[in-house]
Amino acid sequence: MSQPLAEVIGSDSRLLTAQCYDLYCSPQLGALVSVGDPKVFAVVQGIRTEPLDPGRPVLARGRDSGSVEDIYRNNPQIERLLTTRFDALIVGHEVDGRLVQLLPPFPPPIHSFVRACATDEVARFTDNLDFCRFLLGSGPPMADEVMVACLRHAANCRPDGDDFIKRAGQAIASESVGDSVRMAAILRRARL
Amino acid sequence: MTNGFFTNGSGTNGSGFEGGLPSSLPMGSVVGGSLTEGVEIRLNPTGDILIEDVKVGTFVTIQGQRYRFFGVVTDLELNSSDARLRHSPPDSNDPVLLEAVSGTMAYGVVSVLPNMALPLISGSDERPVAAKTVPSHFSPAFPATGADVAAVFGQEDDRHFWIGAPLDMDTRVCLDLDNLVRRSFGVFGKSGTGKTFLTRLLLVGILQGGEASSLIFDMHSEYGWSGQDSDRDRQVKGLKQLFPSRVSTFTLDEDSSRRRGSSPDEVVRIGYGEIEPEDIELLKDNLNLSDVAASAAFNLKQRFGANWLGEFLQRGGAEMGELADDLGVNRAALGALHNRLSRFQRFPFLEDGNRHNAAATIIEHLEQGRHVVLEFGRYGRDLSAYILVSNLLSRRIHERYVELKEAAEGGQGSDPRPLVIVIEEAHRFLSPSIASQTTFANIARELRKYNVTLMVIDQRPGSIDSEVMSQLGTRFTCALDNERDIDAVLSGTAGSRQLRGVLARLEEKQQALIFGHAVPMPVVVHTREYGTPESYAELTARVGAGPVAAARPGETREERVEREIDELFG
Repeated sequence: MSQPLAEVIGSDSRLLTAQCYDLYCSPQLGALVSVGDPKVFAVVQGIRTEPLDPGRPVLARGRDSGSVEDIYRNNPQIERLLTTRFDALIVGHEVDGRLVQLLPPFPPPIHSFVRACATDEVARFTDNLDFCRFLLGSGPPMADEVMVACLRHAANCRPDGDDFIKRAGQAIASESVGDSVRMAAILRRARL
Repeated sequence: MTNGFFTNGSGTNGSGFEGGLPSSLPMGSVVGGSLTEGVEIRLNPTGDILIEDVKVGTFVTIQGQRYRFFGVVTDLELNSSDARLRHSPPDSNDPVLLEAVSGTMAYGVVSVLPNMALPLISGSDERPVAAKTVPSHFSPAFPATGADVAAVFGQEDDRHFWIGAPLDMDTRVCLDLDNLVRRSFGVFGKSGTGKTFLTRLLLVGILQGGEASSLIFDMHSEYGWSGQDSDRDRQVKGLKQLFPSRVSTFTLDEDSSRRRGSSPDEVVRIGYGEIEPEDIELLKDNLNLSDVAASAAFNLKQRFGANWLGEFLQRGGAEMGELADDLGVNRAALGALHNRLSRFQRFPFLEDGNRHNAAATIIEHLEQGRHVVLEFGRYGRDLSAYILVSNLLSRRIHERYVELKEAAEGGQGSDPRPLVIVIEEAHRFLSPSIASQTTFANIARELRKYNVTLMVIDQRPGSIDSEVMSQLGTRFTCALDNERDIDAVLSGTAGSRQLRGVLARLEEKQQALIFGHAVPMPVVVHTREYGTPESYAELTARVGAGPVAAARPGETREERVEREIDELFG
């Protein structure tokens, strides 16, 4: 099992928020993460880096610096004052060793460890495409972008990437019946 | 949960769908429709069966909750769940996108008219019956198998004649011969679509059935002895060659028959005395006679009696004025009548007096269980001769049958053997303007009351009297172009709107739509082969095994067989 890279700091049945242990070290947009044991699976749908203390807004510091790296080097406190958090949409969980693409009965507890799923786990989870329904139904403005990112991530993790995209296209077409434009846009961008 | 009549889709695949479609896989499921309009089947998104694999006129079975339905594809439609696909279709160079959309957002819908239904009762041996309900929503549909077709159309036997194969299937569609000859029936199709071959097959079928005789007014001399297969540039055998002991050939033109290698059993001669004024009235259009001129024939009959025509034609044109005054008819009209009827003197088969009784000879052959082909030879090209002779002989034969039937009803003698009279160019006899005057219209209307029915062969069914058309029990139609003809053929038929689509798409050759009494449901067939040695062997095999002739009154089966042997070998 890989090392945890974040910890749950907020959760409900549908969505969880995690704080990364290291600044800028979140999983990528659309990546599959697992939380706790038994595992709850979620797809990263938004990443943000912000001040730890909302009362201490971030100030611009680069007027006299040559590069971004210089700013961080000259202000070592920055890394202590900022944190990276991400939201992930729950898309399934583990039941007796089986992966089911349903919402878990209870949201993961706060402080549960969040791990990035390994390639083989992503491949196993994405054999079933029912999870597309969660992503497509997550609402604007990010739903389609997350769907595209997730497909690209999954296709890279699978040996049958091209075939996977075809199957995913059919699944999305079935889910988004009546909206061919949306389906075509997702599928086109998933292959860029 | 099946009772064996229809396969449940997992049986052998008799389907001839290209590439051998697996009939165990459902092609789609019922998503809508009605009993009158047929049900709609949305093809499965899996893409195992493309819409291009499904053809109009092919058979489908639908597995309902309580019945298994058997229907025919009547229409195919491309549909989509998003109207915008019409305006901004996916890029045709993007196979992934096309594959994603095909079968999901863009899909095929097959319209199926469910005709037959079979209750799904385990162990039941019920036969399929006409469907009075429709399969419930989302019932799976399968391409029909050969076993399904056999369950509906019956297995080939003495009572069931193999007429052809359903489209794209290597299985046999059979006609119920009893039902076929019980009522008049028609063979339609534009020129060159295979009417003659279909008719030959049907005549063999009537022979196979053994219950009825047929009398064929063979306009182009193509049924009795050899005929021409112009498409394949070969000669095909006639009925007499295939069934010499059961077919008699009569001819009006002995020279022509002999030239073609046929040795007719009888040469037909008709006396002027046999021609009635009604026959002339029937020929009014062909002879270009006015009503007045045609009706003058009745005056002549009144004046001269039975041999009125002989007497009339003996007189010279100069005598017409005097005769007209004598009869009280218009001089010009009588002159015209004389002029036109003089053409009859060019027909060598017409003779003075009334010495011959061709009708009686024909009846004699028919009563012996033979089938009679009357070859017209070169006179077949003269429509007047064809109409005159066929109407005249049919009238005589019909009269005789009426007498026999009435006598049988009175307890004197047995019923006459059922007879099918075959006429070509039927619209010339049965057009609305003259139908009421012809024997044929009477025969068609009387149905089987007097054991005589008609087989009508025509390329212009739209010109046939609608009342006559409505009496045709079974209709066989090859390709037709004309809207009026298509309307006429389909008139009074359940599901005619759907059948119209099927009919309009028949191929030009060797395909026919059959519907009516002889088949449990409308069916498009690729008619069986006629003209190869193998086809002759197949056609004659079953007939040879069947009864040679109907029993004579009071005759036992053994006596009949003995008589037939005597008749065959002398």
